[in-house]
Amino acid sequence: MTELADRDYFTDHEILVDPYAYFEAVRGKGRVYQPKGKDYLMVMGFEETLEIMRNSEDFSAIIGLQGASAPLPFTPHGPDITAQIEAHRGEFHGGDLLVNLDDNAHVQLRALVNRLFTPSRLKANEEFIQAFSDELVRDAVANGGVELVRTIATPFVTLVIADLLGIPAEDRQKFMDIIQDAPPPGNLDGELDLDAEDHPFMIMGGYFAQYVAERRADPKQDILSELANAVYPDGTLPDELAIVKLGMFMFGAGQDTSAKLLGNAMRYIVDQPGLQDKLRADPKLVPALIEEVLRLEGSTKQTARLARRDTKIGDIPVPAGTKIMLSIAAANRDPARWEDPQAFKLDRPKIREHVAFGRSAHTCAGAPLARVEVRIILEKLLQYTADIDLDAEVHGPRGARKLDFEPSFIIRGLSELHLKLTPAAGVDLSPGGSPMIQKAVPASDPRAVTPAPVSGPVSVPVAGYSTASTRLATLLSDPGAKAVLDQHFPGITADKRIGMAKSMTLRAIQKFAPGQFTDEALDAVDRDLALLPVD
Amino acid sequence: MEVIRDAGFDELLALCGGCCSCATCHVHIEAGPTDALAAMSEDENDLLDSSSHRGSQSRLSCQLPITDALDGLRVKIAPED
Repeated sequence: MTELADRDYFTDHEILVDPYAYFEAVRGKGRVYQPKGKDYLMVMGFEETLEIMRNSEDFSAIIGLQGASAPLPFTPHGPDITAQIEAHRGEFHGGDLLVNLDDNAHVQLRALVNRLFTPSRLKANEEFIQAFSDELVRDAVANGGVELVRTIATPFVTLVIADLLGIPAEDRQKFMDIIQDAPPPGNLDGELDLDAEDHPFMIMGGYFAQYVAERRADPKQDILSELANAVYPDGTLPDELAIVKLGMFMFGAGQDTSAKLLGNAMRYIVDQPGLQDKLRADPKLVPALIEEVLRLEGSTKQTARLARRDTKIGDIPVPAGTKIMLSIAAANRDPARWEDPQAFKLDRPKIREHVAFGRSAHTCAGAPLARVEVRIILEKLLQYTADIDLDAEVHGPRGARKLDFEPSFIIRGLSELHLKLTPAAGVDLSPGGSPMIQKAVPASDPRAVTPAPVSGPVSVPVAGYSTASTRLATLLSDPGAKAVLDQHFPGITADKRIGMAKSMTLRAIQKFAPGQFTDEALDAVDRDLALLPVD
Repeated sequence: MEVIRDAGFDELLALCGGCCSCATCHVHIEAGPTDALAAMSEDENDLLDSSSHRGSQSRLSCQLPITDALDGLRVKIAPED
């Protein structure tokens, strides 16, 4: 039988349940270890992890999303493969997303993101976080319990990002529905194609593209206008697609991390004896709790780097082309850095130096937001309850919990967490005011949320199509309309790029490519569409 | 901040990665063309207030974009809080 340290981290569903035992088994092999039969190194040590994160000269972030086990799209040769990486960047999974970028491209894009997470920005965002979490938690406590991950955490972090980015209130429910159905990245059973037309990022991208186009044409006093018109530090204006991708990335990034962090934190609150009463007595301890949960069970288990130059980790020579898994979870439990590392402690010195958010150039930009949003909703949950417990009917008794984790090699997070909530004495649980979103979040059955009704901003008439009111996806799904499009724009229905624009109408797409979609051409399409028989 | 970090000074923690939210890239400006430094925002000012090592020459290095005009600037990394 293969021993634990040599089992396949990237596909093993038992390691998924307890990655920490596996990482300790690997640590037993050394601070840097190449598992038998694998072509990547695993880094277990805190110092080595920091060293690699800080050395972005020698280590590229390009394989962050696809992970250390996935094959490279080229055969590395020579002592410096930087040019090879750049030539093949598009073939890497998520190669042009912020988390995978290197060098100047990363610096430029990162500067745009940094502007969103300043203390004054977060302060403005905090009003929304306070009000919305209040509403969610009151509902949940009034119901006596809640499934935390899907019913609270997911809609909560999604709408917080929507608020931060300034997504119009009337579109927020749609973003939430789309996100709710999206799996996390790093799937153990194979990756979704990021370019697939029904990938949630693609659907949201359609909306985002429209916001950006509208706000470039007609800037308003809002965050989206600022983002759409922000320039890179080198003074150039990003192309619209770069902003769209950034917006989508922000939704994805917050979704899989903050939401899961809330679930992980709640497990400690419930299962550490006496902890919830201690936190209720002194809510100022909540930030310390969050840091210790980040260290022990942060929502990112690992990330990856690719050595792009011949280099070293400590004294170990590492040739260019070596894939490296940085085990964040293992570094955060390294006994050389942390005293009694497996134990939960609220008062560790220099706790904020854990690497749950990474370090150096790729440090999680959203870390300040994650800390604020998780703190506030935990404060509310503690404030409105006398006791929080896991639902033993679903999860079993304390000490023998049954829990399901998202099948991801990147994300550590529960797929569900059913809570029993006992209201605090004398607390008023009636709704505090008008709901934060127009369609209330169902507190009982999360699956009742209709999956992604992807209508464009303009509603689709039951009969008849037009370039101004029918979104592209609808046209493409009707063979007659599809034929009309191909007749006027040969090849368009097979063009991969329009996957990005499927939730838009042709008149909206026209703003991006006025040369290709002239008024005359669209008028002609309208005349032909009007002749189509109605189903 | 990036210049100091990329030159290998690991004493500069810069935990937040440069978004003006953690105050761990705190430096004291010692000499050089201080007039050419970018003005201090309220966010930076508030964050510096949280440091017990704040002095009259304190700045967060992530808020100081490096330009040619800053040639000769000397800074000292502030002690860790």
